[in-house]
Amino acid sequence: MSQKTSFLDLIKELAKIADRGWSEVATHLPPGRIPIGYFCPYVPEELLQAAGTVPLRLMDMPVKISHAQAHLPAYCCHLVKSSLENYLRGDLDFLQGIVFSQSCDTMKGLADIWTIEGRLPFQFNLMVPTRLNSPLARDYFRIEVENLKAALEKKLGKISDESLKEAVRLFNQIRKRLRTLYARMRLDPGRLPGKGLAQIVQAGYLMDRDQYLQLLTGLLDSWPDQSAGKTPEVPLYLSGNIVHSGDWFSLIEEAGGRIVYDDLCSGARTLRLTIKEEGDPLDALVDRYFTNYLCPTKHQGIEAHQELLLKEVQESGAKGVIFLFYKYCESYYFDYPDLKKLLEGKGFPTLLLEIEDPSQAREQMKIRLQAFVEMLS
Amino acid sequence: MATKKTAPKSYREIESVKAYRRLMQGYYLMATHPKWFGKKTAWITSGGPVEPLYAMGVLPFYPENYGAMCGAGREAVSLCETAEAQGYSRDLCSYARLDIGSSISGKGPLGVLPKPNFLVCGNNICGTVIKWYEIQARKFQVPLFFLDTPFIHKELTDHTIQYVRRQMEEYVAFLEKACRRPFSEKRFLKVSARSVEAVSLWKEILELSRSRPAPFAAFDAFIHMAPIVTLRGTGWAVRYYKKLKKELENRVKNGQGAFAREEIRLIWDNIPIWYDIRNLSQLLARHGAVLVADTYTSAWTLKPLDLANPLESLSRSYASVLLNLGLEHKVANMSELIKQYQADGFIMHSNRSCKTYSLGQYDLKKKVTELTGKPGLIIEADHTDSRSYAPSQVEKQIETFVEMARTR
Ligand code: SF4
Ligand code: SF4
Repeated sequence: MSQKTSFLDLIKELAKIADRGWSEVATHLPPGRIPIGYFCPYVPEELLQAAGTVPLRLMDMPVKISHAQAHLPAYCCHLVKSSLENYLRGDLDFLQGIVFSQSCDTMKGLADIWTIEGRLPFQFNLMVPTRLNSPLARDYFRIEVENLKAALEKKLGKISDESLKEAVRLFNQIRKRLRTLYARMRLDPGRLPGKGLAQIVQAGYLMDRDQYLQLLTGLLDSWPDQSAGKTPEVPLYLSGNIVHSGDWFSLIEEAGGRIVYDDLCSGARTLRLTIKEEGDPLDALVDRYFTNYLCPTKHQGIEAHQELLLKEVQESGAKGVIFLFYKYCESYYFDYPDLKKLLEGKGFPTLLLEIEDPSQAREQMKIRLQAFVEMLS
Repeated sequence: MATKKTAPKSYREIESVKAYRRLMQGYYLMATHPKWFGKKTAWITSGGPVEPLYAMGVLPFYPENYGAMCGAGREAVSLCETAEAQGYSRDLCSYARLDIGSSISGKGPLGVLPKPNFLVCGNNICGTVIKWYEIQARKFQVPLFFLDTPFIHKELTDHTIQYVRRQMEEYVAFLEKACRRPFSEKRFLKVSARSVEAVSLWKEILELSRSRPAPFAAFDAFIHMAPIVTLRGTGWAVRYYKKLKKELENRVKNGQGAFAREEIRLIWDNIPIWYDIRNLSQLLARHGAVLVADTYTSAWTLKPLDLANPLESLSRSYASVLLNLGLEHKVANMSELIKQYQADGFIMHSNRSCKTYSLGQYDLKKKVTELTGKPGLIIEADHTDSRSYAPSQVEKQIETFVEMARTR
């Protein structure tokens, strides 16, 4: 009984962390650790961790847009709009710095506007190459990562190999727990709603990672032995960018579906980032981006996205695929028609949902989701 | 939308335009019938290194230039709709959409476009082209060479040049494989020399408009830029620009401007609104305003190639085209244009099709006005998709702006 209580307590605690606004995130940082922001998994969090920071991921906090319009045209994704809004309002002034990484044109533009505003004492633009199937790009990126390391060291002091290795182990452990969590969710799907899973994942980006690992470990250790009983929902795969609001998962469940796996940029996709723990840690950090396909803003051959998505969908046991994309996101929308054609050709129906402002458009999405799930059941 | 086909009376027609038409007709005849001429063709992005292609005897085809043609001829929307029917979002760059639509339907101003032998994509202009070229590579099942030029927020670093340079070597190897013959250094140098010459001529032509009145308006430059994009590296481009330059020098000598009335001098930022060029040109002319320069056509005044070290300088030059540079550089570039061309203000096209060009324009406007004291106007449109354009609103904005610039 006490085991069950602690399981529920942990779920509640993680949900609370996920729901924190920036000011609360700021007040919950461990003493002595410096908060640094970043957007994208191409920024090696391990390096930030080893430098003594808490890497905090900017991922579309609910906020009313009123300052950002003076800097951005309407045709930008909401992630960029809301992050700039937070920045201009001063919500992010507690950060000691930000690391941008080259991804899409909109993010590139944001990085420059960020610099001009100059509210944070440190900004590093990590130029992640785009041609990630080339050894030349690997050599180039290695220098970029070295430069990031040097810039962090200049600000925060030497990063030893040992501390980097330790950070690598920490993040690998986190990913290992998350992988187990996804597996548990499949075996015992009635135990936790999808929203709970989303919040657990989200919490990890907004807090000290040592504490996060403890919470995750506690959660898995306290996971009840007996299954909560199977639910009859339609298994679905969720594909998209950084759209990790628990609300989507709830909506899908209300419609009678259930996400069995995802490739969200903030979700299961980050499990592809696991690193080799032996050898030179900087090499290992760099190499992982060249061995795994991660993001449509990058080029890894013309079929890479299709091949990996199809494989994951097939392995997941999903009956259909939901695409959840930010409106105006070119990288995803260019890939979409061919992905859809491929998946549907292999017997996986798909549904595209477009998000402009995540805090809106719930009802209309619900109707479309219901129709989709009904068709699959 | 005003669609009058006649040029305003105050406009002075460029005589070389006949030679221009013949030249481009010739080029498009080859591009649409490469087999007649025994040519291989490659589709290449506007910022892609074309000199190695010409050196290998491969004819480049520019989907973006084709996009401009579809836009100006008002054929873009139906082609975009074909792509949209296949699931391509209306929020994607309309050059890409119309090109994809045209390759699906086989329609467009040039009819069915011949299948390219391979594709060359450079992301020095945007990230859009990567996705677009991946789609076309899958569709045509042809090899794709991708030249990756990391964005330059501040300065061009040595390791970036080295990265691009090593890729240039790969590019040469790729071409040798695709064409099944060795790369001739000699031919490459010859092509590069012609490219250098055409680029300098183009630069000189644009700079002629620093004089008052400007002999060559930006609207002219939008048309006459086609050879510097498509035929850079050929003798044709050099010959054509020599002719054009001579004509324009005569204008300067005789104190003739592109427009009879030139009271307000303005700079244009971003890609033209291709389907409404004529209307906007007339509108400005009615108010005595002339666009004397722009950031778009001046992007092809690439850094001159160093013929003693061609691959290295090719890398440097292609890595640092305007669209691959951060906001600071854009502010400097625009302010410099205003100064050099003695402009009274600037008009910025916030182009929903081109995020790389349009993100940051609000800050750009603010900074440039701070630095130069000149006012700027932002208008909203799309370079080829006229469905996202409200002409009467834009016309009103421009009229008010010109009158405001007059009183400053
Ligand atoms: S969601 Fe798309 S457009 Fe927005 S930052 Fe990410 S890749 Fe760029
Ligand atoms: S996004 Fe802009 S630079 Fe890129 S292809 Fe489209 S118009 Fe050209």
